[in-house]
Amino acid sequence: MALSGLEIYKLLPASSKDPEVKKHGNCKECGFPTCLAFAMKLGQKQAELSQCPYVEEESKAQLEASAAPPIRLITLSGDGHKLEVGNETVLFRHEKTFYHQPGLFVRVKDTQADAAEVAKAVGEYTVDYVGMDLTLDGVAVEADGGDFAATVAAVKEACPLPLVLLTEDPVTAEAGLKAAEGIQSLLWAATPENWEAMAKLAGEYKVPLAVHVDGGDVDALAALAEQVQGTGVEDIVLDPGVRDHVSSLSVFTQLRRLALKKNERKVGYPLIAFAGDDPVLAGQHIAKYAGFVVVDGFSPGTVYPLLVMRANIFTDPQKPIQVKPGVYEINNPKPSDPLMVTTNFSITYFSVANEIESSGIPGWLLVADAEGMSVLTAWAAGKFDAERIAKSVTSTGIGEKLDHQRMVIPGHVAVLMGELEEELPDWEINVGPREAVDLPNFLKMQWG
Amino acid sequence: MPCGGQGRCGRCAVIVQDGTGVRRRSTLRLTSDDLDAGYALACQTVVEGDAVVTIPPQEKIERRLVTDKTATQVTLPFIYDPVQHQPMHLVPVELDPPDMVDQTDDWSRLKRAVATTSDVSDLTADLPTLRRLGTVLREHNWGATAVVEMDTWDRPNGSHRLVDLLPPGSTDHLWGAAVDIGTTTVSLYLVDLLTGEIAAKAAEYNGQIKRGEDVISRIIYASSRSSRNSDGLGELGSLVVGTINELLERAARRAKISSSEVYKMTVAGNSTMIHLFLGLPPSSIRLEPFVTAINHPPPVRAGELGVNVHPQASVDCLPGVASYVGADISAGVIGSRMCDSSALTLFLDVGTNGEMVLGDCDWLISCACSAGPAFEGAGVRDGMRATVGAIEEVWVNSETYEPTYRVIPNPKLEARGDPTPPRGLCGSGLISLLSEMFITGVIDKGGHPNFDLGSPHIRQGEHGPEYVIAWGDQTEHGRDIVITKVDIDNLVRAKAAIYAGFTVLAQSVGVDLSMVERVLVGGSFGQYINVEKAVQIGLLPDLPWERFIFLGNTALQGALLAVLNREYRQQVSEAAQLMTYLELSADNTFYDAFTSALFLPHTDLTQFPSVAEVLADREGQSVT
Amino acid sequence: MPTIEVPKEKWSGKVREITLGATAADGGTRAKTVTVGGETTLPYLHFEGDIPHPPAIAIEVQDRKPADWSPVLLEAWGDVTEDPAAWAKAAEEAGADVVMLRFSLHDDLSAEYARETLRVVLDATGLPLIVFGPGQAELDNDLLVPVAEEGKGEKLVLGVCEDKNYRTIVAAALAHGHLVDARCPMDVNLSKQLNILISDMNLPLERVVMDPTTGALGYGMEYGYSVMERLRLAALQGDGMTQQPMLVTPGEEAWRAKEARTEEGVPEAWGDWAERAVNWETLTASALVESGADILVLRHPESVKRVRAMIDALMSN
Repeated sequence: MALSGLEIYKLLPASSKDPEVKKHGNCKECGFPTCLAFAMKLGQKQAELSQCPYVEEESKAQLEASAAPPIRLITLSGDGHKLEVGNETVLFRHEKTFYHQPGLFVRVKDTQADAAEVAKAVGEYTVDYVGMDLTLDGVAVEADGGDFAATVAAVKEACPLPLVLLTEDPVTAEAGLKAAEGIQSLLWAATPENWEAMAKLAGEYKVPLAVHVDGGDVDALAALAEQVQGTGVEDIVLDPGVRDHVSSLSVFTQLRRLALKKNERKVGYPLIAFAGDDPVLAGQHIAKYAGFVVVDGFSPGTVYPLLVMRANIFTDPQKPIQVKPGVYEINNPKPSDPLMVTTNFSITYFSVANEIESSGIPGWLLVADAEGMSVLTAWAAGKFDAERIAKSVTSTGIGEKLDHQRMVIPGHVAVLMGELEEELPDWEINVGPREAVDLPNFLKMQWG
Repeated sequence: MPCGGQGRCGRCAVIVQDGTGVRRRSTLRLTSDDLDAGYALACQTVVEGDAVVTIPPQEKIERRLVTDKTATQVTLPFIYDPVQHQPMHLVPVELDPPDMVDQTDDWSRLKRAVATTSDVSDLTADLPTLRRLGTVLREHNWGATAVVEMDTWDRPNGSHRLVDLLPPGSTDHLWGAAVDIGTTTVSLYLVDLLTGEIAAKAAEYNGQIKRGEDVISRIIYASSRSSRNSDGLGELGSLVVGTINELLERAARRAKISSSEVYKMTVAGNSTMIHLFLGLPPSSIRLEPFVTAINHPPPVRAGELGVNVHPQASVDCLPGVASYVGADISAGVIGSRMCDSSALTLFLDVGTNGEMVLGDCDWLISCACSAGPAFEGAGVRDGMRATVGAIEEVWVNSETYEPTYRVIPNPKLEARGDPTPPRGLCGSGLISLLSEMFITGVIDKGGHPNFDLGSPHIRQGEHGPEYVIAWGDQTEHGRDIVITKVDIDNLVRAKAAIYAGFTVLAQSVGVDLSMVERVLVGGSFGQYINVEKAVQIGLLPDLPWERFIFLGNTALQGALLAVLNREYRQQVSEAAQLMTYLELSADNTFYDAFTSALFLPHTDLTQFPSVAEVLADREGQSVT
Repeated sequence: MPTIEVPKEKWSGKVREITLGATAADGGTRAKTVTVGGETTLPYLHFEGDIPHPPAIAIEVQDRKPADWSPVLLEAWGDVTEDPAAWAKAAEEAGADVVMLRFSLHDDLSAEYARETLRVVLDATGLPLIVFGPGQAELDNDLLVPVAEEGKGEKLVLGVCEDKNYRTIVAAALAHGHLVDARCPMDVNLSKQLNILISDMNLPLERVVMDPTTGALGYGMEYGYSVMERLRLAALQGDGMTQQPMLVTPGEEAWRAKEARTEEGVPEAWGDWAERAVNWETLTASALVESGADILVLRHPESVKRVRAMIDALMSN
């Protein structure tokens, strides 16, 4: 279980009972000004215990135990492409963040004539979302009575992403693993029947192994994982064998809770989910705890929204909520309508935009990049100054959309008026109200 | 009855001499001592049989109410021994006059004399002192009193500096000054370093205010390179030095001395104020990663700063922790004696910024939040400082919504028995007003005035909804004194920032606010805040009242301890070293705690059980 | 073999049950009512608590043919968009549990117009109604007060009721027996604050749905998602001021997104327009179902089908 900053502090030199250790308390050698500051950073996993040269052995053991990730990190790799899954620490993203996006895999069968073509499309697919390149993570090749090894080889050739090999037959599996040598694939799956042979293969080929039981039997799953782990295979992925909405939600939630809240090591592994051709189910798996999501078929009109959903759910909620800087048109403004300036902190943006929108007054809202800070905070931190505002005016080319050169700045930064006039000599700078709620009135009275 | 008979204002306290026939419904306003003395609130008391009741003189009630705004006098936590504690000494010397046999130079002669009467062997002096040496010695027949600085914090083993050479027997005082440079107010103690006694106290608005109300505006002013203002840094430095000189002048006049007789000055203040005072560019304070130029400045000579104490006097600026937790806080931690106990203590210093420290004798964690100057009466339409004419307490009648208020009296008018007309509202008045408006339903929990009440005091003003506290015919300036919705929002934001600071500080180390055993309140709040009202608006945590201790200006007290006692000076440094600084801008939980506190008293009413009780009570009364 | 004990949360709180619409027996004219809420656990974790009611799907119908809707949507509905009564009927046939009537912004808005429009929609469908104004506080007040009077006793949901106009909307709901949609901009504290303010005006919380503001997929969906998870956790932990069922508007938000709205000038990687557009609405809605939505206002009939299928799947236990 994670320790609080103060609990960690009690284990550091400043709190030591041994005067020889205590004399190093607050020594700053870790790079933090005090032991407490270091403890808090350790608690937030933003520092490493090894930064403290004086921590006592006993404390060290306690701290390391508390810091061990409850869900193992599993790495797959393709040709120059790496996927990391696991190490999650919370059940709800607002509690901290979800760290590793689940891998999104498209399933092809070895009986499928266009397997390599699909794989190629999957490998090449990339789409821009707010400046990020979103991509899929790989292809799941299913043994369905065709030439598995040849299909794996063709897929590997066509697509540089990691693979999941879907077969419960050890002989087929080994053929597939051979064909996939050189990359780190996930082997699915060990079952209560075949686990010894599959574990042996996973050991030999050094690949993570998914363990699979039927019908969401958590006990059987844990037992199987323990058996596999007993053979020396450490990288395990769990497949509790649930394929519908309601049972996968229940079982995945239970497994995540067991790992995080009960520290149940036997199920401390990422989960794999099969969503078939149902994007809604795939969406659920993204939000609710899958480490690998396998979908059937590849269609950009479905893949794009799923990738965006994944990006959204795995956005760090601790980061300030930002909107994209730029010009926002509210109530279909004309070139003669007013231009207002604000920052890209989402709450600031929303309150300003909402006020204008609900007033019915058309207007242009220029959102400057203030690194997601509110007007006053950004101004205080030097992220919302005349220079930055002037820069957004030029970079957005807002001037060309208007038939006037007049802008309203927030009342809280009235002091920027002078400098802004110097930065933008052709513009008339008006100081607006301090509060967004007064904007409609201000516009009615002052604009026109 | 100011509160409308709800047992809230305590103005109807009576003494029940034979108590068998009465039943007290609420004793909210009375202490257990009061109850023992037989006090009851007339409006909350049901007479069920015979009773003998005495009505105490009104003035007595008035005074009783004043005392609940606890203020503490300065008492030193040690018995002052200037020899042991004070690095500044007066050393009387008698020199053998030079002659043709002993042609030792004046300076060596003086050093030798000093060494014989004290254990100072390696005296040094600044050039201006040396220039005056010969004259003083010769004019006074080779007798003199040396003003010696034995050590400074950065040279604990001795600077042994001759600061001045005075005619023999010319003084039996050795003056020092303790100064706190607040963003809004600068305060100063003039203290006799031989006795530890405070001879005078003075306070004045910081002259920099005209260049911006908060530290950020000042930093920007100091750093801006606009054509209209070529040397903002220099200008702000001169402004604050000007204020300090004015205070020195005022204090010196009261003590009937000259300010140049002050030989040591210790200064507390937030990091920005210290930077501006020393002429250090403060711009890095406000920019990521928020570092100061220097947290532990060395002592400097007063003459270099233009401070009108003795030009060779050391000016010792106390050390700070971080950009937004400055020397005022490290001094305050010492001034408040927070580290003397293992009890979990919350120390709060509210000025223009709210700084707070949580901890005990083992650990300290601090943060700063920008509360704005609302509680100092600035940034509020009819706000003012707590001086004559300020409304310092308000009651709102819960049936008529009529306000009643108390004004800080003008002594002259008071002597004549005339009321002092109000000019505005000071911080405590604003807190009290906000609480009363909220408890009586003049505003809802979101701070919106309730026009449905039909009171003429609630009206639509030029700047939106407002509540009238005093009509123009009662005020000094003839204008209505009002609080606007914008003012209310400002105050709520200010209190929310402070409460959110508590929340995040406690969360960051994993303790619950209810575990806090002592709340030490310093800063401009420290003298005149009503705990009950401050809790009701959700500014202070809802803890038993006896856990709150009001300390006045703790930064100034810390500076006083440091100017008097080198051990305490050392403790201030240690506190600054020990304190862990929590940067709230790097912390998303602050935003959450802040919006949660943007409500009266708080979105989570369970954190304010006593307020919930009062509200339930009101609900009950309005139903009956 | 030792069995692993599956951890179950023991929640002390319960989401309030709220009924939309009133039948003749209750003083209204609806053919049926819809009850939502009552959950005693997190969404669809049937193993540790009750989910007594499936979330309700409302279909949005506007008072006149929307000028700014995506052609994909307009085609799906065809001619009925010309007539709110016909549209409401079509919505009922498309599987709505509730009809949302939204007044769009135009010059013909008046109290009388609002009453008449409400009347024809009430006459056209037996489903409970949600009525939204165009979203400008003052205009909303001007329309929703007559709507409240006209629909007296129908237990309409009046929206949106915000910090700045809650007094008017709540007073109208109080006077005429309606519910309100309490909307706050994606913040747990603000949502709770508005509920407190409304409850302080003595509107029973059984007549308040909370609306945490919806962000579309790709446009802040996750903020609303997390705010809803936090609100639901608080509700289950016993915080009485967060125990309102939640109403979300994924239809409106998703169809405002460029991805759903348009085909022109979009990257090839976005794929087929209609497929993408319906996915946009469906995935926005389904994420919100997972985070605790009790009433979902949708726009496209295909999305309604898919979200219905998901709800059926999640409720089958």
